Amino acid sequence: MDFDLESLVHVEQDFYDAGYTDGYEHGRIHGLIEGRALGREKGFEMWEELGFYEGLCKTWRSVLEMQGKQDSRATHHITHLLDLISKFPSVNPSQEDAETNANMDISRLLRLIRSRYKALCASLGIVPSLRATDAEGGSDEDAPTTTRKSVWKVNAAPKAEDMSF
Amino acid sequence: MDDIWDDEPVQNAQSHAEWTKMSSDFTNTGYREGITAGKEGALQEGFDAGFAQIGVPLGRELGNMRGIASVLVAFLSQSGSPLLDEARTISTALNSVRFADIAPRDLEAEEHARQHLETEGEEVDVPEEIDDKRKMEGLEDMLNKLSSGALNPADHSRPTMADVTKLKTRLENLVLESGLNINWS
Repeated sequence: MDFDLESLVHVEQDFYDAGYTDGYEHGRIHGLIEGRALGREKGFEMWEELGFYEGLCKTWRSVLEMQGKQDSRATHHITHLLDLISKFPSVNPSQEDAETNANMDISRLLRLIRSRYKALCASLGIVPSLRATDAEGGSDEDAPTTTRKSVWKVNAAPKAEDMSF
Repeated sequence: MDDIWDDEPVQNAQSHAEWTKMSSDFTNTGYREGITAGKEGALQEGFDAGFAQIGVPLGRELGNMRGIASVLVAFLSQSGSPLLDEARTISTALNSVRFADIAPRDLEAEEHARQHLETEGEEVDVPEEIDDKRKMEGLEDMLNKLSSGALNPADHSRPTMADVTKLKTRLENLVLESGLNINWS
């Protein structure tokens, strides 16, 4: 009788384990699919903004050269802005990178980029794009911005809730 | 007497049913918990892949084009150039492009959704944030149709990646014609 009970417990565990293994494989597929969908939206959103600044800088630089204003304040801003953008990660940094590399403060870098962009617009006498205006509005709701930052910056230990916002 | 003879097979059937129920209960519990663990374990991997391989390059490319086009509009209107119209047309067209218009299909996701539909008759949930965004875009399209009436029905089709590629060529030409020199990288 004792022996029967013992083996029964194992059998329960065996059934559970078999189910778990199958479920885990299936869950992985869903995790990859859902993660990809979120990641590509986020990457697009971030780099559309940065790319806009980048394209704008490259074009204004050429315009200023053509007008013989290479030494203007605007050119100075452009150089700095392009440099800042080149430091921005185009791959989601891992948590180790974020911890070991002090330059990996992404939200700070983004703030620097946006304010440099606005300074450039001011020196050129043009109206900044809505992208930067959005950013100003965003500072009001600092809390969600901070949690979001962790979504793609330190997401090494993702929680399902964090990922699906 | 009858009871004694009949008892056995009934009990057998009963215990067989209990056994089946027990086994499927444990298997199902394991399956459910396995799904959750597997999903959580893979979310980040998927996120990073989609971020770096698709989102970033597409966003950067489109953003660059938009930035270039916006400066051309400003520059050409300053100089009163006849090229201004072309710059405006390109810029407007680029601004109407959405990620959903140019994003490549996720074939694995489509295939998996199809399997779910076939085996369970259920659709796979789309992440909430993305679902909301698509609904907003659908609403936008509807409002655009209403406000522009049926005057220009050709405008209602969404742009595609092929359109964006054509716009890029036009933009490159316009940059050259404007006498500017941009490193497209």
